[in-house]
Formats: sequence, C-alpha cells, structure tokens
Amino acid sequence: MQGVLGAFHELDAAVHAIEELKKERVGDITVFTPTPRHELEHVMAHPPSKVRVYTLVFGLLGVTFGYWIPVWISDYWPIVVGGKAIASWVPFTILGFEVMVLIGGLMTVYAMFGLAHVPRLTTTVGYDPRFSGGHFGVWVVTDADRMDDAMSILRKHGAEEVRRDR
Amino acid sequence: MASSATPSKSVASYNTDLPNIPSAAVRFPAVRSYEQVDREIGGTLRPTLGWFAALGTAVLCMLIGATAWTYQIHEGLGAAGYQPPVMWGVYIVTFVFWVGIGHAGTLISAILYLFRAGFRTSIYRVSEAMTVFAVMTAGLFPILHLGRPWKFFYLIPYPNWRLIWPNPKSPLVWDVFAILTYLTISSTFLYVGLIPDIAILRDREKNPIRKAIFAQLALGWRNSDREWRHFTRAYLFLAAFATPLVLSVHSVVSFDFAMALAPGWHATIFPPYFVAGAIFSGIGMVFTIAIPLRKAFKLEHYITLNDLDAAAKLCLFTSSVVGLAYLTEFQVAWMSGNPFEQNYFWNRVFGQWAWAAWIMLLCNCVLPLSLWSQKLRRNPLWLFILSLFINLGMWFERFVIVVPSLSHEFEPWQWGTYRPTFVDYSILLGSFGWFFMWFLLFIKQLPVMAMSEVKEIIPPRMRLAHAGLEHDLTEGTVYPDDTGAPH
Repeated sequence: MQGVLGAFHELDAAVHAIEELKKERVGDITVFTPTPRHELEHVMAHPPSKVRVYTLVFGLLGVTFGYWIPVWISDYWPIVVGGKAIASWVPFTILGFEVMVLIGGLMTVYAMFGLAHVPRLTTTVGYDPRFSGGHFGVWVVTDADRMDDAMSILRKHGAEEVRRDR
Repeated sequence: MASSATPSKSVASYNTDLPNIPSAAVRFPAVRSYEQVDREIGGTLRPTLGWFAALGTAVLCMLIGATAWTYQIHEGLGAAGYQPPVMWGVYIVTFVFWVGIGHAGTLISAILYLFRAGFRTSIYRVSEAMTVFAVMTAGLFPILHLGRPWKFFYLIPYPNWRLIWPNPKSPLVWDVFAILTYLTISSTFLYVGLIPDIAILRDREKNPIRKAIFAQLALGWRNSDREWRHFTRAYLFLAAFATPLVLSVHSVVSFDFAMALAPGWHATIFPPYFVAGAIFSGIGMVFTIAIPLRKAFKLEHYITLNDLDAAAKLCLFTSSVVGLAYLTEFQVAWMSGNPFEQNYFWNRVFGQWAWAAWIMLLCNCVLPLSLWSQKLRRNPLWLFILSLFINLGMWFERFVIVVPSLSHEFEPWQWGTYRPTFVDYSILLGSFGWFFMWFLLFIKQLPVMAMSEVKEIIPPRMRLAHAGLEHDLTEGTVYPDDTGAPH
C-alpha cells in the first residue's frame, strides 16, 4: 500500500482538500480526526454503520438464550411447588432481559471492532501521532503516477506537511 | 492567517458563527485548543505526594478489612454479629449501598448521553470508573456474607456432577445475572470510551514501557473516519442497552426484599424507590470524588460551576423522589389496615431504630433541600460536605430497610436486635479502602476526563470562515462563567 499523507491544522482546509481529491478521483481517501466531526462525515459521505444489524441480531439471540437457560434448568431439575408452573415465564423475563443486554452489548462492541478493523497491529503506514492531538490527516492511497496530483491538491489547500508513505 | 471576518465580541455571536457546536464557548470558555486539552488532562497522570499518601491510606484500610475477613473465616459468621432473627446485617446493607453507588455512573454516561445533557462530558469518565469499582466492591459482599465463601460459584448455573441447580425463580439468582451483566457492560462501556483517549496517551508518551502498554490497550486505534463511524454507532447502542440495565439492576436488588413477606419489605414501591435511591447516592459519591479531583488536578475550567449546578439539580430531584417514596411507604402502611405493617413503621421512626431512621431522613431529605438555593448549588465546598451526608444517609437508608424488618417481624417472640461487631466495621472500612485503592490507581494511569469528547465541544481551528474566533480567543475574552456568575 502506498500513498500520500497530508497533515492539516485547520478543519475547513482538510474538508476542502477532501472535496477536491474526491472530485479529481485521485484515490481512496482515509481521514484522521482527533474527534468525530460532522463536517468530515458529510464530505466523506459513507453509508450508515452496520453495527446496528449485529446489535439487533445478537440482542434477539441473547433474549432467546436468556429464556432458554431457566426453562431448561427448570425442566431438567423441576422444583414442584403446588399450583405453580415449573417454567414460569414472568420471572424468567429478568434472565431473558439480562442475557439480551449482555450478549447484545458485547457483540455490538465486537462488531464495531470487526467493522472498524480494530485491533490493528501497526499504525505506522499512513498515520501520524499528531492526528490524535490537534491535527487532521488525509491519507490518499493512489498509484505512483497520481501521487504528484494528490500532493499538489493537499498543498494547495494548506496542508502543513505532505509526504509520501508506503 | 486570513482575518477577513470581524472578531466576535460576545458568546451569542460565537454561537451564530459556529454551526454544529452551539454552546462551545459557554461550556468550556477557558479551553481554547485541542492541544490544551491533551496537555492539561494528560498532565493529571503525574503522581504526586498527596496521591501516594491517599493510596497508602486506602491500602491500609483495605488491609484492615482483609484481616477482619480472615478472622471471620476462622471464627465463623458469628463473629459478624449475626444473631436470630437478624441474619442479614452490615454486609447486605453495604452490598446494596455499593450497588447503588454504581448506578450514577451509568446514569451519567449512558442516560445523559442519550438525552444529550451537556454537563455529562466533564464528569462521566469519573462516574464510569466509580461504577465499575463500586460494583466490584459490591460483588464482594454476598461472598463475605457466605459462611463458606469458597462455595460462591454454586450460584452460577452450570451442569455439575451433584446435579444441584440454582433456582431461576429465586431473586438471589436474578441478582447474580443482573450484577454480572451490569459489571460486564459497565466495564465494556468504560473501556470502549477509553480507547481513543488511550491512543492519545500512546502518541504522547515518551517512556517506552508505558508507550508499549498504551499501544496494546489502544488496539491500534488511529482516529480514522472508519473507526469513528462505527465507534459512535456502537457507543450509542451500548448506551441504549445500558439505560434499561441501570433501571433493571437495582429493581432486581430490590426484589431480594420485596419478594419476601417481612413487614416493610413486601411492597411494590420497592423497585422505583431503590432505583431513585441508587441514583441519588451515586450522584452523592460523584460529588465526593469529582470535587476534590477538580481542585487537586486544577480542572475547574473543565468541571465548571455550571456542571456542578446541573448535577446538583439532579441530586435535588432524586432526593425529592426518595423523600416521596419514604412518605408513600408510611401512607401505604397507614392505609393498609395491616397491624404488622403499621407497627413496623411506627417502630421504625419512634421505636428501636428511630436513631437510624432520623439520620436517614435528615441526610437524604432535609439537608438536600439546601440545593434549592442556587448559591449553594454553585458552592463546591458545600456540595462536597453535603455529599458526605448523602453517602452517610444512603448507607443508613439501607440499614433501615434491612435490619428493622428482620428484627421486628410478625410475633413479639420473634423480635430481637442487632449489634454490629468490630468485624463488620472493619470490613465496611475495608470496602472503602478497596474502592478508593482502585480508583486512585485508575486516575494516575488513565485520563479522568474523556479527552476526545471534550474536543468535540471545543471549536476546531479554522482557516478561513472563523478566523475571527481564533483571534478573539487568544485575546482572552471574558465570559460569564469566568466570573463564576450564573447564566
């Protein structure tokens, strides 16, 4: 993977650079930002995250499993109390709810890790420690023959530093 | 820097200048750049002499508790002052107390996140850490309460060779599920929120060993748009899961009592009453922790008087709910026509346990009324003192719930008393030592405030459109909050 990295101190400069890079179709763009910014979200125009699908599916699986545990336990080792159902749905709702939250919550986080490609073994290519501080970064993965175009666009919009990386 | 825009002179004009960050200048007027946030909040990680002294005291208290527990294991549960009919005492009281403390963390981090309450930003990390350590502390007490603590795993439902199963209709089993889920989700919530901040520490750290540890903990986080896009969604859904979880956990704890037929316990008001009490006590503990931290770490411009004021209003509200619940309990007993219930409540306030009930009422209902005064709500010293009373009052609330019901059941021959021993007191002290030990270790290893979320509120540096803002901020405009005046 090779590309060009630009470091910006100003948000609007980074946004304008991304707009032009997209317009010129220079390459795949990744933007680094110390904190989520709507301006960058809008200019990147990604589709909504699919985390919600995992949350829903595993939440439903969790509630099913959460009801199944006590029903199975009660059926396997019945405690017979006069007039009371062996598998009592109302009190088992507590276990169903708790297991739904447990499995749904944990799988939401695992889904986030998977979709965001975290954990990542290296941060050295196309990253600069300034991007967790006060700078915005634009990383453009592009062919060798378009690198100069990318660099000139980044410089034109006021990048503090522009460098090739691989 | 281009400076065609006219420098703004008022907060209002900033707000119109800066779409997307409507209250930045009002929330943190003295915080002007992302770098300042990293420098000031990252700077709190340097250990100081005072921190070592506090940690030493906490460890000493914990060791006192551990010694008392060792003695109790050797001597048996009788060393803890249990005597029929009161077989639930300080341990169960303290268990409910610490679970309650753990509630404000998730309230502040999850519920206030969903409601977009601005004052949450500066105090939620402290509250989340408090939640995790409080639930860890609470989890020890059912084990302490067992005569044979090494058999604690009997409550966990797994098929074993004895074919002994926990009864899933028992509130004690619900407790295990609820509290383990709460601990897991709270810890996950805390860790997920910490990842971007750990990445900041990784990138700033000079010491190679600490840098390597932070690099592992940050999981290679790079602040990319892909990471933030999924992170913000996942955080929202975790908050959405955690919100009903907060309400469920203390409701389940209340079922430990409400499912029993003892006078004073068997009431449908218990779940909302417990949840309100838990949030109230948790906010009390947030004040106890956050106000000294604010002073010690010089974070007054992050945890502003406005934030304390807003949290104090929440405290006043929950105090009122708790007060209403106390009165409702009496009303229900009065109108029930049930002589056992009436006798029990009479005994609570005018009989054997009157001293505990009046401490509870004074600390939880009377003293918080001072928060109707805006001047007192904006006085950190008073809020800190009040928080100590709230902690005391909420511990006594649980004492008043647990002990009088058991000591004053249906028949006079069942009536008895309860006198905690030095083992109870030592373990109670030890629980505070355990809690504060973890908390003090936390605040010197990881940031006490969410740096990336604070940055979300700070206006970003702009090249063209808001050049006037940059100019004006560096000139040091005086905002209402700088003067400490309410607005």
